[in-house]
Amino acid sequence: MTVKTNISDDKKVLTIVIEESFEFSQYQIFRDAYSEIDVIGIKFILDLSKAAFMDSSALGMILLLKDHADKLSGELIISKPSVMVNKILEIAQFHKLITIQR
Amino acid sequence: MMNIDKNIIFRIGLSLILLLLVNAILLEINVLNILISLGLLALLFLTKKQKENKTEQITPHENATDNPLLVSVIQNLHEFYGQEVEIIENEIDRTSGLVGEAVLGISDCFKNLTQLSEDQQTMIAALILQSQSIGDDEGTSLASFVQESNKTLDEFVSVIVNTSKQSLQTMAFTDEMVKQFDSVFALLEQVERIATQTNLLALNAAIEAARAGDAGRGFAVVANEVRSLSVSSTELNENIRREISLAKGTISKLRASVEEIASADMTPILKAKEHIGTMIEHIQDVSEDSKAKVNELSNITPQIANAAALGIRSLQFEDLTYQSLNSLKSNTGSIRQINESLNKFCNESKTYTQEQIDTFRDSCREITIKSKNQNQNRSVSQDSLDEGDIELF
Repeated sequence: MTVKTNISDDKKVLTIVIEESFEFSQYQIFRDAYSEIDVIGIKFILDLSKAAFMDSSALGMILLLKDHADKLSGELIISKPSVMVNKILEIAQFHKLITIQR
Repeated sequence: MMNIDKNIIFRIGLSLILLLLVNAILLEINVLNILISLGLLALLFLTKKQKENKTEQITPHENATDNPLLVSVIQNLHEFYGQEVEIIENEIDRTSGLVGEAVLGISDCFKNLTQLSEDQQTMIAALILQSQSIGDDEGTSLASFVQESNKTLDEFVSVIVNTSKQSLQTMAFTDEMVKQFDSVFALLEQVERIATQTNLLALNAAIEAARAGDAGRGFAVVANEVRSLSVSSTELNENIRREISLAKGTISKLRASVEEIASADMTPILKAKEHIGTMIEHIQDVSEDSKAKVNELSNITPQIANAAALGIRSLQFEDLTYQSLNSLKSNTGSIRQINESLNKFCNESKTYTQEQIDTFRDSCREITIKSKNQNQNRSVSQDSLDEGDIELF
């Protein structure tokens, strides 16, 4: 598994950890990680500390996750992106859309 | 009477030499003049001493003619004065000419310098303006072009990301569609089962019809028709299954194509972005540097102009020099006048009455006082270039 999920005991925080390159091949598994969640006000934490590379489809996936969070009046936080990944997030101007914790 | 005459001649000689001395000092003429004057003074005293010794023997009539030495001294003095005055005046004229020419040349030089520095300033400003534009007709600056490029790149990135998002959404829809196809397959299986059962039923019906003999012949035909219908139904089912399988194949091609659309490598964009960032920084640095340099240059230009103006103003020494030279000429004029009187005095006669001597002495005094007054007037006039403002010429 290159995508791992962990839901908090109170079911209000879902942590998704990307363990390899974040790209199109993870699309299905990534979508499955959150698409069934319907808890109102849920907090998604996307842990990118282990993701070394990211292409534009990953950015699209993050935007879809963000849409899902918005639909549930929830929140999306990107956690600990690597330097390279953070640069890509910056040129896509994601820091204006999503909280990024370094 | 003889005694008086001798004393008078002595006094004339004395006053002449003193006059020479005073003039020499006043005009600051060379030491030679002063030395000559002092020498003549000594000679005069020596002559007087000799004459005093002989005073008792000399007749009154002799006194005018027995002083050929004195007469020749006065004559020499007159010639010397004439010659020196001429040399001095020639030198003054020559100096005036040289100063005039030099001042004109230097003044032109300064004016050119000012003009050239202004031209240079204009050229540098134009050069910097040109170097910061990209050379289009609208005069777009390099800085604004790079900013524009940066903005375009941002827009490009957002288009890419949006396309990815939309593609992934399309992906989700196709996945839904594949699921729906799968349920169609399930339905087709049911239809298949019904067809199989119908086929079995038709077979049973055909058997029962055969058992009934002639009475069941008509029914056997119907049963046969039902059976062939079920076979057709099975064939149709197979066709549908095949078509849907083809559709699934097309969908997996679609998936690959969507993957292609959705997955853009961001690395080249990242690099381009970094380059643009570096470029913006560099252009800002260059632009600021250029501005600072232009400012420095525009500060230097008035400095050059000021220096040139100061130079031109300093050239006003020409006027002061002319004044000095002119007043020097009035001094030589005085000397000339005394020389004239001296000449007249020599030529008139060899015998001098008290009156003649007094007249000569008075005229010497008068000229001396006049010259002294002129000198005082001169000393209160401008001594330095810094005193008072002088209009530039």
